[in-house]
This record gives sequence, C-alpha cells and structure tokens, in this order.
Amino acid sequence: MDRNQLAKWLKSPVEMANKYSLHAVYFCTGCGIIEIPPVITARWDAERFGIKAVATPRQGNLFMITGYVSLKTLKAIIRTYEQMPDPKYTVAFGSCPINGGMYWDSYNTIKHLDKYIPIDGWIAGCMPRPEAVFIGVTHLWTLIDKGKADGYIRYSKNYASYRRNQEMLFGDLGWPPLYPSESPAEEARA
Amino acid sequence: MISSLKSSLESTFKDVAVGEPEAGRLSVLAPKDSLPVVLRYLKENGLDHLALLSCVDWPERGKFEVVYVLSCYMPSNTDYASEQRLHVFVKAEIPREHPALQSVIDVFENAEPYEREIHELFGVHFAGHPRLIPLFLEREYEIPPFRKDFDTRQYVAETFDPIPPVDE
Repeated sequence: MDRNQLAKWLKSPVEMANKYSLHAVYFCTGCGIIEIPPVITARWDAERFGIKAVATPRQGNLFMITGYVSLKTLKAIIRTYEQMPDPKYTVAFGSCPINGGMYWDSYNTIKHLDKYIPIDGWIAGCMPRPEAVFIGVTHLWTLIDKGKADGYIRYSKNYASYRRNQEMLFGDLGWPPLYPSESPAEEARA
Repeated sequence: MISSLKSSLESTFKDVAVGEPEAGRLSVLAPKDSLPVVLRYLKENGLDHLALLSCVDWPERGKFEVVYVLSCYMPSNTDYASEQRLHVFVKAEIPREHPALQSVIDVFENAEPYEREIHELFGVHFAGHPRLIPLFLEREYEIPPFRKDFDTRQYVAETFDPIPPVDE
C-alpha cells in the first residue's frame, strides 16, 4: 500500500475502498466492447487498477457503456443501471454515447446518453485505446476523491426528469419508478 | 458445372432470365410466383444453403427487389463445388405498393428470421410465415425505416431532438 495515502485511508476508509474496488458490469453494447477483453485480461490487466468484470449488475459499481446505444439497448441499460447498488459510477466510452457519433442521423440509435441516465465520465474517441480506459479510470478516482462522481445522487434527485425523458422515447417503460415521487407537489414541479 | 446448371434452369423454367455477371456467380431473375419452385429446384440440384435473403428498394421504378443468395453448403453433394465456390443470386421484383411474397420457409427453414427482418425493415409481407412479429425494432415506424423514402434526419429531428437535457 502507498504509504502517502495512509492518512486518506484512515480519514475516509469507505471512499478509498470504493475507489479501489471498481467492479465493472460486463455489459456489452456497440463496437467498443471489443476493447474490453484486452483491458481486463493479461494484455493490459485492469486489475492493476482494481477493476474487475462481474457477471451481474447487482454486484457491480462501474458501468461502462461501450459504444452506440440502440433503443432496445437503452431499455436494458436503464434496467441494468437501476439494479446496481449505490454508489455506482457510469463511464460512457467512445463518441457514440456522447452525441451519436457516426450514427448521428440513425433512426434507431439514441444521440445523447446523458439525457436518460447520469454519466460520470466520458472517454472520447472512435475507438478509444485501452490506455484511454485507464486514464479515464484515474480521472474517475480523482472525481471520487473530490466527491464529484455523484451520478447516482443526481439520478435520485432528478429522477422525475430522467424518467420523463425515458418515457418520451418508450411510452410505457414496463416497470414502476425506481424513486416514486413523494408528494404530488413535487411531481407537478418536475 | 455452371453452364449445365444455367442451361438446365433455362430449359426447365420458361420465365426465368439467367445471367452470369462474373465467374462463379449466376443471377436468376424469376417472377415472384415461381420463386418457391425455382428455389426448390436449385436446392435439389445441390445449392442447399440459403446464405442470405436481402431486399433492395428501387423507388424510381416503384419496385422492391428481393434477393436470395444460395451457395453449396456441402462440397460433396454436387460437382458444382468441386471446381470453385458457386453462388446463385435469385432475384424477384415486387411492386412497392402492397408488397407481398410467398414465404419460402418450407424450402429453406433458415429463411424465417430473414423474412421477419425484411418484413420489419421494408414492410414486405410474406404469406405463410408463422410469426411476422418485430425482430429488432423497439418502436413503431410509420414508414419501414429501410425504405428509401424514410427520411432519417427528419425522423431524428422529430424524435430525439425534442427530448430536453436533464437540468441539474
């Protein structure tokens, strides 16, 4: 263990533990997932950074969206994201989740992923190299340190807006709201 | 032998036009009603693999062109495959208004998802298909999205652009 960080560990052990135990949900979407197997296996070995791939969203806290998001995938992404336990961090990978990328005029690909779920970090590029993933992860550490990787807090706070955007696309989503609005006044305000 | 297959096709079916666009390829233009018969004939003559079923939109001509790509799956069951890989493109033209075709699932079983896909993306109806339900798409589209007159930019402007960003 890095001795310089001992003070941090003693001060906020939970945050430090969160930071160094990122469990990435092995959710494959788009072409970017082809970069993930070399990242998590021997060639680049993401375990150096404390990242492991887990099989189910209920065990993970890092959600990497690796490429274009079609409408059907978006529904799965929302479900997966809502199943993950707090604190959870989302990283959008590649240029397609940012603004559609080369699918900017596609009939079936959503353009701005942050309209539907909160995103903590973006990795630009088409495709980003595996090194970019690690740069993104170290940036995410900084954000967690400063308390700025607060996507899951924003999601609960602005859930009405997110849910409204999701329902604008899908109509009835097919599952009840994750955070039911507590008062009718709050609902009207949203 | 490509030439023997070509001549046997031309002598068996009066209404098909057989061409050889390049070596190892045959293109067979058949009327839509005789498609299942032509496909069954080709299957019995060794072209037992439906590699692909595709559709082309020709809005100026007012036609859809449905393309069945056949090849030899087993090299042993025919002498066509012994010299080189043979591909046969069976094409049929159908009108753009109320496009309908006979399903060929009873000839090639693996045509089932292809026909569903073309029904979903081009709006071609396949008579006799057991379940023409959506395959990929999540939403309903007024015009099937792979038709040439589907304006994707207008669709994006109407569907995705009005969704507001979440104000933090």
